[in-house]
Amino acid sequence: MSTTIELRDLRKRYGRTVAVDGLSFTVAPGEVTAFVGPNGAGKSTTMRMILGLDAPDEGAALVGGQRYRSLPSPLRVVGALLDAGAVHPGRRARDHLLWMARAAGLPRGRVEEVVELVGLGPVAGRRAGALSLGMRQRLGLAGALLGDPPVLVLDEPANGLDPQGIVWIRGLLRSLAADGRAVLVSSHLMSELEGSADHLVAIGRGRLVADTSVRDLLAAASGDRVVVRTAQRTEAMTLLANAGATVSATGREVVTVSGLPAERIVALLSQRGLAFSEVAAHRASLEEAYMELTRDAVEFGAPATGEA
Amino acid sequence: MGRLLLAEWTKLASVPRWVAAIVAAVVLTVLVGLLGAASSTSDANRHWDFAVGPDGRSVRDDFHLAHRPLAGDGSVTARVASQAGLVGELQDRARAGVILKEGLEPGSRYAAMMVTPGHGVRFQANFADEVAGGGTGARWLRLTRFGSVVDGYESADGTAWRRVGTVDLAGLPSTVQVGLFVASPDAVQVTRQFGSVGIGGHPTAATATFDNVRVEPAGSPPGASWTDRDVGRPALEGDATERAGGFTVSGSGDLAVVPPEDDVVRLSLTGVLVGLMAVVGLGVLSITSEYKRGMIRTTFAASPRRGRVLAAKALVLGGATFVAGLVACLAAFLLAQPTLRANGYGPPAFPRASLADGPVLRAVIGSAAVLALVAVLGLAAGAILRRSAGAITAVILLLVLPQLVAAALPVSAGRWLQRLTPSAGFAIQQTVERGLCLPEDGCFPEGPWLGFGVLCAYVAVALAVAFWLLRRRDA
Repeated sequence: MSTTIELRDLRKRYGRTVAVDGLSFTVAPGEVTAFVGPNGAGKSTTMRMILGLDAPDEGAALVGGQRYRSLPSPLRVVGALLDAGAVHPGRRARDHLLWMARAAGLPRGRVEEVVELVGLGPVAGRRAGALSLGMRQRLGLAGALLGDPPVLVLDEPANGLDPQGIVWIRGLLRSLAADGRAVLVSSHLMSELEGSADHLVAIGRGRLVADTSVRDLLAAASGDRVVVRTAQRTEAMTLLANAGATVSATGREVVTVSGLPAERIVALLSQRGLAFSEVAAHRASLEEAYMELTRDAVEFGAPATGEA
Repeated sequence: MGRLLLAEWTKLASVPRWVAAIVAAVVLTVLVGLLGAASSTSDANRHWDFAVGPDGRSVRDDFHLAHRPLAGDGSVTARVASQAGLVGELQDRARAGVILKEGLEPGSRYAAMMVTPGHGVRFQANFADEVAGGGTGARWLRLTRFGSVVDGYESADGTAWRRVGTVDLAGLPSTVQVGLFVASPDAVQVTRQFGSVGIGGHPTAATATFDNVRVEPAGSPPGASWTDRDVGRPALEGDATERAGGFTVSGSGDLAVVPPEDDVVRLSLTGVLVGLMAVVGLGVLSITSEYKRGMIRTTFAASPRRGRVLAAKALVLGGATFVAGLVACLAAFLLAQPTLRANGYGPPAFPRASLADGPVLRAVIGSAAVLALVAVLGLAAGAILRRSAGAITAVILLLVLPQLVAAALPVSAGRWLQRLTPSAGFAIQQTVERGLCLPEDGCFPEGPWLGFGVLCAYVAVALAVAFWLLRRRDA
């Protein structure tokens, strides 16, 4: 189970709008790759090209070295969730999975397996139109998992899920990657992917902005900053600034310090007799790291001309 | 492909509204057929003045005949020296010639060789069978009897004979009537103005002179002599006079199968036109519903070979609507026939229609096939337009509008509209050839198969365009 997704200089334009502009990256097996960017950045278009639904103008999207359209049994290689609303509202959830299973030549029993896997059991007999958005997301995930594929392409799978659902999907993504699958998950909310993504591909206006491992990204974003919690914030800030550190107030009793190691800060504060309740190395959140990463990227700025 | 068929079948059967649409198509087809049958009446049998032909159909067997008996094998020969109009102009289908008839009762079996001004020399037997001569302008005609077999010959000079047709009149009595006949059908004029049809007709009579009249063997039976009479009930009385070696015969009437005024099979299948609406909706929605919600992407992700997906959809949809249509059409036909007979659509003016008759079976199965083809046409239109409302409107307009508009157009324009739109497919419901074939009655003069072929061609072209677009467009 080690199949990769490989994008080579992928380009797609719709009329005069360039949706994807020379995109190249690889989604490795055994990892959750977060595919992020603002709305309209080209994430969904890229995913449709991976699935052979939209034809690229240039370049190629390969799954396990092949174009999607030439895969003999695609649902067994790539599981996809593009839009949880893409079900006929009059069809029962179970029947929706059944036609997919039949198209892929999978046994009927597999439908019940994925129904249980995504926790759809109690509502599988309901018509899709009567399901909540969260349940429809689970139905879409069930469809993606039907063929037990080594590659998963999920477009905003956490959309519409309640907090428990988001926790659940993080765990699901982790376990899918742990099986050795290549998982590509798009999102425009970084917090949804916190703690589950191993790798991050960021795009803006169809171009690659970042392609990095999450660990490196977080380490770089956290830098050598130290968080100090003290009731005497002003005095502490003056003291540390005079000692050569860069300080900023990041909360009512919180000061973020960079340029001084934690040991030296503790020594300085104790020397002056300033009370503090916490001195800890700062850990950036994925969202913070992402914001830092993209702050300067022009692709994320307000578009000068109208853009879809 | 088997997987795809099963997948598409699962899709079709798992949406309750679609199953309801199929059931509605069946119910509408049957109910509208029954309503139509219950509200139709015919008084054709009450003033029925035709003869019943050997095969049970209504026939006109009206003409003037100069005749004599012939016992056993033999022949009758004559030359039609001239043919002219007597009352009204000489009609294209005026007939003059020699005849061999088993008796003088209208509707009895016969064989005849004749000349007609519009259609040349013809051999005709038992009203229905007709063979054209060589088209050489021959005027010599001969019939020979050998046992029960009668052969018809033509000749330009009375010496070189060419056989035109033959018929086996099994069980022909030993003594039959042979002679010279003249018939001239009514002149019919059709006038149309914006939906109202006026049919005017007046009787005509023609006269013909025959010479070189010879019956062989002359003395069989002994003492046979010539006499003349009207056979049947021609509109105008005829006459015959014998001159040296020849006769002048004048008469009115026709020898022909009388088409029923209405097609009882078609009448019982009128509900198909209504059932079709449900079927078109189903065909269109079976693909546009996928476009509307983006499910088409799931479909094409599961089966990237889009042509096969379209083929599977067409087969499943066509198969399901054909089976449902067959149930509906059989039920409509069987249930409507007794009502129609009770309302005056019975024999002899309207021969009893049975599923064992080829044309009836063709109409019933063909109507089910029309429903299936129309569903597939809807599917193709849905795949091309990707919008439910537009596709449903387009297909229904193509199918129904020509039948409405045709009535307001001149006959020839109406015919072309009928030929060039998929509504021509309804021609498969025709089981009788009508005397007056008008497009607004759904009568398709080129026959059932050509009309059905037009519909098939539309479906094939629409599928080809849909196939091309599906492969070319982004999903």
